[in-house]
Amino acid sequence: MVTSTSAVGRLLPAISSLLRPPPEDELREYGGLGLVRRKRVIDIGCGDGRMALGCAPHASEVVGVDPDPEAIRLARRKARELGAGNAEFKVGVAQELPFADRHFDVAILSWTL
Amino acid sequence: MVDALKEAHRILRPRGILIDARPDSRVFAYAERRNGTRYRQAGVIATTREELVNDRTSDRAVATAVREGWFRPLRAGRFWHRVIFEDRPTMQRYLDDHARFGHRVRWMVDPSTRRRWEADPWAIRRAVRHGLLERI
Repeated sequence: MVTSTSAVGRLLPAISSLLRPPPEDELREYGGLGLVRRKRVIDIGCGDGRMALGCAPHASEVVGVDPDPEAIRLARRKARELGAGNAEFKVGVAQELPFADRHFDVAILSWTL
Repeated sequence: MVDALKEAHRILRPRGILIDARPDSRVFAYAERRNGTRYRQAGVIATTREELVNDRTSDRAVATAVREGWFRPLRAGRFWHRVIFEDRPTMQRYLDDHARFGHRVRWMVDPSTRRRWEADPWAIRRAVRHGLLERI
C-alpha cells in the first residue's frame, strides 16, 4: 500500500491542495494516466484545481467546477501560471452542472461526496 | 449527494468513468513522529461522529446510484496519505481546527516522551478510499 505525502507548516496556508495527496499520486492509485489521457475530464468540487491541473497535461480538455468563487479564482491563476490552456474553471454546484449530456469521458469526485 | 451522482451520470458518456475518492473513516488515522527517515506511530486519531454520519450518507448515495442502474462498480481500493507538520503543536492546531478528526489523540507514548519529541517533525497518516464506477 502506497503512502503519499503533503507538507503543512506554520508559514503555509492550510488550503485544501496542501492537505491532499499530489494529483499524480492519486491518479496512479486510480489506475494511472491512461484513465485521463486524451479524455474530456471534469473535476467536480475542484477546489483550487489540484486534481484538474494534475490531469491537464494528459487530458484533451479539463473542466473544474466548485461553488467557492475564491477557490475558482485561485485555480484560474494557477492554470495561467502553468500554461494549462486546456483547463477551464467555473463556479457551480455538483447538482446542476452547466454542460451538455454525455459530454465528458471522466468525472472526478475527489474528496467531494 | 444522490443528486450530484445523477448529474454526473447525465454529463458522462456511456461507459465513461466516475472516480469517487474520500477519506476512509472505517479505519483510524495515526499521529506519527519522524524518527530519522521513517515515521513511527505514536497515537491514534478517531473520526468525529458527524463525519462518520456524512461518510455513511455518501456510501448510501453511491449504493443508490448503482441500484438505480446509473453506474456499475469497476474497482475499488485504498491508499495512505501522510500530511506532514513541522512539529507537534502545529499538528495539534490542525487537529483542533479540523472538523473530520477528533481533537484528542489516543497516545501510545507517555507524556514525558511526547514533550521530548515536541519539536520533531510529525505527521498524520490517514487512509483514502476510492472507487471507479462505469457509467451505464
